[in-house]
Amino acid sequence: MSRILIVDDEASIRLLYSQELTDEGYRVDAAASIAEALELLAKNSYDVALLDIKLKNESGLDLLQKLVKEQSEMAVILSTAFSCYKDDFSAWLADSYVVKSSDMQELKDEIRRLLARKKAD
Amino acid sequence: MSYDCCWFNPERNPLECPNIDEGEEYLYASPRKRFVEKCIDCQWFQRDLASMPENNPFKNIILTLREEYKEQKGHLQSLSAFLSSKSREIKFLHELSLVLQTSMELDEVLSVAMTAITSGKGFGMNRAFLLMVDRERNSLVGHLGVGPKDYEEAWRIWDEVDRSNFSLTELSKDFYKSKLATEKVKFQDVLEQLTVSLDDTSHIFNRALRERRTIHVENAFDDQDIDRKLVDLLGVSRFLVMPLISRNRSIGILLADNFVTNKPISPRDLQSLQTFAFPVAFAIERASLYERLQEEVDKQTQANRKLQEQQALIVKMEQMAVVGRITASIAHSIRNPLAAIGGFARHLLKSGNPDEKREYLEHLVAAAKQLDDVLEEVFTYSESLHPVMDLWDLNQLAAMVSDAVRPKLAEMQLLLELDLAEGIPKAWLDYKQISYCLRAIILHVAASQQPGGVIRVASSSDGNTLRLCVLDSQNSLSAEDRSRLMTPFSETETLGEGGGLALCMIILERHGSLLTMEDIAGGGTKYCITLQEKGVI
Repeated sequence: MSRILIVDDEASIRLLYSQELTDEGYRVDAAASIAEALELLAKNSYDVALLDIKLKNESGLDLLQKLVKEQSEMAVILSTAFSCYKDDFSAWLADSYVVKSSDMQELKDEIRRLLARKKAD
Repeated sequence: MSYDCCWFNPERNPLECPNIDEGEEYLYASPRKRFVEKCIDCQWFQRDLASMPENNPFKNIILTLREEYKEQKGHLQSLSAFLSSKSREIKFLHELSLVLQTSMELDEVLSVAMTAITSGKGFGMNRAFLLMVDRERNSLVGHLGVGPKDYEEAWRIWDEVDRSNFSLTELSKDFYKSKLATEKVKFQDVLEQLTVSLDDTSHIFNRALRERRTIHVENAFDDQDIDRKLVDLLGVSRFLVMPLISRNRSIGILLADNFVTNKPISPRDLQSLQTFAFPVAFAIERASLYERLQEEVDKQTQANRKLQEQQALIVKMEQMAVVGRITASIAHSIRNPLAAIGGFARHLLKSGNPDEKREYLEHLVAAAKQLDDVLEEVFTYSESLHPVMDLWDLNQLAAMVSDAVRPKLAEMQLLLELDLAEGIPKAWLDYKQISYCLRAIILHVAASQQPGGVIRVASSSDGNTLRLCVLDSQNSLSAEDRSRLMTPFSETETLGEGGGLALCMIILERHGSLLTMEDIAGGGTKYCITLQEKGVI
């Protein structure tokens, strides 16, 4: 079973994503901050990480840089309310970029695509 | 002894005098004046003197006095002519000085100077060339030639000048207004060949400049110190090379000759021309400096204007940036809870709720979807405040957008066809904004199509303008419809419900592009994005 880590400071989003992705058959953990995420990453191995960019007083882009260096096997999807971050060079490090929406189909499609790519590699 | 002259013959009436012309009648009443001015040369008087006996002592005295008188008279006439010529010269130099002192335009100064040198009413040289020092090229550069190119032209020009009866000032004005431009072209080949490097110290032009004196060449064909090419080019044995020096600065060289008449250049001509060269050099330098000053002032004015425009733009951009940040921030704040509301509604809908609640959930999902679309448009608008311009392939953009909207059109049972012109140039545009607009137009057209309809997207180029058009073959627009669509955010346009076309109008306007709606012959409407000329490379 593929494991997914959700990093988002909004409790409602963590809950919604957890429910939807669990229903899709993934094993899901959620973190509200970078510190919590690093704690989970130290204990577990994940196939995909869903990162919010604006995390209260932190930036998901900082965590992204760390993950790219230290967890190169893991695919990272930036999930944010700001579509403008697509133009930020640091966001290009991510494997995918999805704008938050009430319709999660695009996010689910991206997770499937990245997992299939990982499997093929 | 009988005499013929009226002085000695009492029968001779002075009124019969053949030497007194019309207008000289006063001489009848003034015998003294008549004798000095007329009788001294009168044939009758001379005959009377000759017939006087040789032993008459008065005969020799009178003859001696008469010869002396004639010699003095000739001398006086010569002096008078010289005085008159100098007076004319002073008057002429005064006229020139006035023009040279008051004119600030280089071409006008040159017109006056060159006309004065070559005109019969001036120094009367046949031809003159001006070479100016170009410090950037380190050369004496041929600048202007004046005069006829051959004998035929010479006679034609001189005849024309004679008949015009212009004064020197009028001639120079006429030259400046109607002949200067053609004269510049006429001697272009000669001027190019006259150009010489300032490093060629042995060249006669550089010698004249260095020694600061006019060089009068009298036998150029046999002069070993003169470049053969120059002699062959001028085709004359006599010419003048005058340095133009102003306040110790070398301005240029005046080269003058009489290649048509081959008239020798007299010392007096030389002296006059040298006197003339000084104010000319000064006027040329002043006009050149004024011209450069004017150029600098123009550059400064232009720079100031650009600076003001930039300042206004910065202020505007700052205002827009504030609006953009506020808009994006609000949209971001709404998007997170909205995603949660819509997401949970969808989740509940999937998890099999009772039928009576299902309708409510469907409304919640639809409302969330609509708000999502509104947010997307608000984001697009806030991003449009800062267009990111680059060179893009318009056909590639059209293909990408078409691929993205095809699934949605398929749901509506509509087809999308591409008709892209080959080899169109790349365009300077904001890819995201133009993509958004094309998508908005396609969806606007799709909304009014019947199932089975075909939407065509076409690109074209007319050399300076690029067009991207969406063809709606089913619906024509009334004038009222068109006016409504052209008015951004009119009451029937709502964000998230096709309001994208209105937003598209604003974006394109800011982008420097244009959205037009044209009737298609036989029915239908063509929506076109026209990229302005300046945006096309």
